[in-house]
Amino acid sequence: MDEQARAILQRVIRKIPNKKLQTALRAWDHLSSEQLESLDYAQPKWLFLENLISRCEENRLSLKDVTKLEMAYYIDNPSKGTWHAYQLFQAEGDAVSVNFTQFREQLKAHLKDVVRHVSVRTKKLEDGAVWIRIAWGDNFSKPNHLKPTYVVHYLQTSYVFVLNLMSKHKPFLYQALLLSTRHVSIKEAQLSSRSLTAMRDLLMRQYQQVFPTNQERTLKERNAPPSHPSIEKEHAECAERRHQMACEAFGDGVLPKLETAVYKLETKYRGNSNNTLNDKDELFRGVVMFSSSNLLESFRHCVSAGMAEGPVTPLLSSITQKGRNSFVITDKVPGAASQTPAHKA
Amino acid sequence: MDIVRKQGVFDHLLMLEKAGTAGQEKQKQDHLKELHAAILTLRAKRERLFAETAALKDLKDKLDQGLPLEEEETDDFMQLEQFLLKSRLMQLKDLQTVYHLIGGYNLIESKQGKSVCVSFRTAFEGMYLETYNLEMDLRRTVQISRHNIPPCVPLERLAKEHLQADFKAFLEILSLHLNALAGRKQQVLLIKELIGTVEIIERNQLCNFLVFMCKIQEETEAAVLCTLEYGDLTQCLPTRVTIESENKTLAESPQWKKNQVLLMESPVHSALLTMRKVGSIV
Repeated sequence: MDEQARAILQRVIRKIPNKKLQTALRAWDHLSSEQLESLDYAQPKWLFLENLISRCEENRLSLKDVTKLEMAYYIDNPSKGTWHAYQLFQAEGDAVSVNFTQFREQLKAHLKDVVRHVSVRTKKLEDGAVWIRIAWGDNFSKPNHLKPTYVVHYLQTSYVFVLNLMSKHKPFLYQALLLSTRHVSIKEAQLSSRSLTAMRDLLMRQYQQVFPTNQERTLKERNAPPSHPSIEKEHAECAERRHQMACEAFGDGVLPKLETAVYKLETKYRGNSNNTLNDKDELFRGVVMFSSSNLLESFRHCVSAGMAEGPVTPLLSSITQKGRNSFVITDKVPGAASQTPAHKA
Repeated sequence: MDIVRKQGVFDHLLMLEKAGTAGQEKQKQDHLKELHAAILTLRAKRERLFAETAALKDLKDKLDQGLPLEEEETDDFMQLEQFLLKSRLMQLKDLQTVYHLIGGYNLIESKQGKSVCVSFRTAFEGMYLETYNLEMDLRRTVQISRHNIPPCVPLERLAKEHLQADFKAFLEILSLHLNALAGRKQQVLLIKELIGTVEIIERNQLCNFLVFMCKIQEETEAAVLCTLEYGDLTQCLPTRVTIESENKTLAESPQWKKNQVLLMESPVHSALLTMRKVGSIV
């Protein structure tokens, strides 16, 4: 096993907690059961690693096999690192009939065309997600497996999620994705988070959305705090209305776990008190960042508890409606068509 | 001129002033008379309306209490009924026009008329499946503001082609796509439920590509690989069926040619059930 393989194995084993080591190695299926039995999982990691390496060398395992283990680790733990979302536009006619085999062949072929040394591995999961691991080299050097890019794409949707992509490799990946998925253009979706599942649920609408219906509103507040019956009676209708509004803006039940939302302000200062700032013609640049362990849940609670005024401002509801968490806010240009404060798309 | 010199300019002015105000006063008095007359007519109308509403109210109370009606009241009752029926008819006609306009889909107004929300219910073989919702903004042009339609359905393309031109057509075609998707998904589910021996090798989110393997006989390894491609996304039936097997003669046999036709013409699960009954597969 060469240096790179050893380094990657070391990195992966260090990241996996002791309890899950055995299952991970068994799922890897590159060591025989006797070898697995012979390992002592209670050892300190560095010692365990040395034993593991010697077993791997007995089986003559290569870099390829180790990268498989790394990929399995990332698939099981999609909340490591910061993922960025991209969206594909202008699907061509046969985009819906691309199947996995076609996609994989085309992607590999296109990447190998543009980058002489590149190592691509794909895996399709039960739920339709295609995981791609790319190790980039260039015309002179072999692929660097220590800094792989991970890409997750759901076939026949227009969303791609990327981890660890360097800007110099961006155009290569863009072109390969566009050609293999049969789309014309790709743009950043202004959504990034540590949790891949949260981003996926948000963009592919896999959380429970609430739409206005003409039936009796049956949304009941879950885990409502205890309160006086008279207060409840007076506030019942008000509270129900607020709850409905909150759920329509953000969703019902368990929401995707976004952690941050960033608003870049490029507007003029508009305050009463500080005159010196008021008169300036130049833009008052600022950044507003919301962060929370579950951002959407906090927003929803703010609205349904009455802390935030309703109707919910489109600045906040755009997070779920447009599926993004990074916004640039500019001043409303007089005569502009939109009626809400202008967002840069 | 003599008069002026005799009486003086101011006197002349006074005389002119009197003449002017007298005319104005006359106008005022005329106006007052008109207003008085208007008041009288309005009062008379008000008395009349009061009397009518009182009579109707009496009639309504009597009807509510179930008391017998007097003669002139029965005439009123008939008239009242006519009025009610007429208003109901107009209401229904309006409703009919609206339904015609929106193609029979249940639209709900929201945000004080600025947007509408449509629900699409999907069903397959008599069983209701998922419901999808679409909210559309009506402010300048009709635009989709949010939805919970799965991302594999080509919603943007359908909206670009149909939404502005023909609203009803857009709803219709979207409903077809959603129903067909629900139907194809349900077929795959039914294969797993009803026919456990068939192994599904590949499928995708849009359910327009399905590959499965059927065993011919219990003991042997003989198997047949069927590939179903659904080219038309508004249909529940495939547009192409390919049968492959290691045993070439088996794939070419008339039995399997018939099975191929069966897979093209009926939903997958029923085709497989028939094939199992006939003995083609296990």
